[in-house]
Amino acid sequence: MAKSYLASRLTLLVAAFAGLFLLFGIVTWYTIDQVRVQGKIYEQIVSGKDLIADILPPPEYIIEAYLVTRQLNDETDPSKISELIERGDKLRVDYESRQEFWRRELPQNSIKDLMTVTAYRSAMQFFQLRDEQFIPAIRAGDHERAKAVLAQMHQRYEAHRLAIDQVVQQANQQNEAFEAKAKIIIANQTTLLIALAIAILAVVGFMAFYAHRSATDLSTRIKMASEIANRVASGDLATEVPVTTRSDEAGQLLQAIQKMTLSLRGLVMRAKQASIELMSTATEFAATSRQQEATVQNFGASTNEIAAAVKQITATSAELLVTMEGVNIVAGQTADMAEDGQAGLRNLDNTMERLAGAANTMAARLAAIREEAAEITGVVTTISKVADQTNLLSINAAIEAEKAGEQGLGFLVLAREIRRLADQTAVAKLDIEQMVKQMQTAVSAGVMEIDRFAEEVKSGVGNVVKVGGQFGQIITQVKTLSERFDAVNHGMRSQSQGAGQIGDAMGQMIDGARQTSQSLREFNSATESLRDAVSVLKQEIALFHVGT
Amino acid sequence: MLALAFRAGPMRLALPISAVVEVSPRRELRPLALAPSGVIGLLPFRGTLTPVVDLCRLVLGRDCQPLRSSRIIIIALSGKAGERLIGLLAEDVLDLLPVTATIPGLRLPSAPWLSDHLADQRDLPQLLDPSALLPDELEALFVAEAAS
Repeated sequence: MAKSYLASRLTLLVAAFAGLFLLFGIVTWYTIDQVRVQGKIYEQIVSGKDLIADILPPPEYIIEAYLVTRQLNDETDPSKISELIERGDKLRVDYESRQEFWRRELPQNSIKDLMTVTAYRSAMQFFQLRDEQFIPAIRAGDHERAKAVLAQMHQRYEAHRLAIDQVVQQANQQNEAFEAKAKIIIANQTTLLIALAIAILAVVGFMAFYAHRSATDLSTRIKMASEIANRVASGDLATEVPVTTRSDEAGQLLQAIQKMTLSLRGLVMRAKQASIELMSTATEFAATSRQQEATVQNFGASTNEIAAAVKQITATSAELLVTMEGVNIVAGQTADMAEDGQAGLRNLDNTMERLAGAANTMAARLAAIREEAAEITGVVTTISKVADQTNLLSINAAIEAEKAGEQGLGFLVLAREIRRLADQTAVAKLDIEQMVKQMQTAVSAGVMEIDRFAEEVKSGVGNVVKVGGQFGQIITQVKTLSERFDAVNHGMRSQSQGAGQIGDAMGQMIDGARQTSQSLREFNSATESLRDAVSVLKQEIALFHVGT
Repeated sequence: MLALAFRAGPMRLALPISAVVEVSPRRELRPLALAPSGVIGLLPFRGTLTPVVDLCRLVLGRDCQPLRSSRIIIIALSGKAGERLIGLLAEDVLDLLPVTATIPGLRLPSAPWLSDHLADQRDLPQLLDPSALLPDELEALFVAEAAS
């Protein structure tokens, strides 16, 4: 078995990691040694801090303020005095600000109590005495009183100093405790570090061994998979893939190859079957197309027959067209005759109308005569009224004369004459009345006759008009007939034309059938080619070995 | 003596002229409310309203024809209380006839006013007796009115 490429790489990686890790451990250990408590660097920092503390006057220790106070007691120069007072004030401010700082920073323990309670209280008493009694005494130049106050202040200062000493002592003890603790921590940590390094190296070594073995195994199996794939590629689909249950990448790959081989086997088998079916289909195609060719040839023959029939139709419709034209001419002659008849009727109509006009004139004249007769009647009525009055007068006159007796005799005669005259007038009147009546009767009869005649003439005119209308209808109908004949003619012509077009179309159809036949032949040859191609495909598929 | 000739329908009648006051043309009459049968209205005549009786209605039971020759003959009736004028509407009041000889007529109890015929006329007109002309109730009415 060849050496695994993957395993050698892994080994190299593990070796590099172990070397670099060792280097890292050594550097770390050296650094810790350098910066540890009471190491070289620690000592340097502490001595620097000590130096500053030794030089500077401590603001939390009021020794400087005390010294300044004493100096103030001995001083006499006023400018120096005010300068010293100012300095004392500044020291107080410094003290209080630092006190604030420590009050915030220090943890709650005995040092803080000493510092912020005991020492602070005595310092504040000291400062109070200075500000309230000592400074005013100095300003006033009362040195005796100043000295007495200074003695009190000295007591406060002593109390403060004792507290500060205790603070220093306790702080030193605390620092020593811190340093011892730090030493222990560092020693423990260094031991832990070394143990951790050894453990890591051991784990890495084991992992390297395990990874090397796995890589070797993986390589073996991948090589197996590639061999199987090569065999499949060369067409041997019968190769069995060793069954594996391991679910790592190589296992998955082998499973996938197994699946692929099975699928390919199925596919090739189906392709073989399909090629066989395709072959039979191609054969069927060829048979069908041959049948179709025969059908198309039959169709061509039928089409020829149809074309002959269409030609006959064309000839028949042309004959019919000639006949229709004859009929049309006859119809035209009929229309002419009807028009002549209508013209004659129109003349008759005119004559009748003139007659009717004459009758109307006559009627009008008779009406005039009737009016005149009525006037005569009026005159006669007047005459009869006069005669009536006359008669009445004569009667009354005769009555009066009778009553007058002998004197009225002459008058009676006169009355009789008058009455006779009136009677004659009445007779004449009667004659005239009778004549007028006769005339009126005659005129009325004449008017009636004339009216009847006019009516008859009117109805005659109406009849003539009706007959004329009927002639008109005949003409119209004959004309429509002629138009219809034209339409029929046109139709016949279109039919003839249409038949010709059908004949042409038939010819084209025959051509089409011929072309179809040609196409079918081409299709046949194509089917042959298809069959050949399928044979080739079959041979190709046979190359694949599927096994049983 | 003369007689006024007239007609009531087919009957030719006459009145002695002495009984006639005047002949008046037929005029519009003043109508009389709830008038008795035969009285057709009142005629203003010489300052009085004279009742007019339709003779045709009295004799024949029908109205006289509305002709111009139909006239009103005004006669005077004498009763117990004095004279009373009455109008008689008759047809064909046109002629005066001389009375020469008379033929006694047939006196009917239902028509007591018909008396003698005129003998020398063609159609023998019959004379009327004006005093018997009006029916009793009419005469009583008119005379009573005249008396009051």
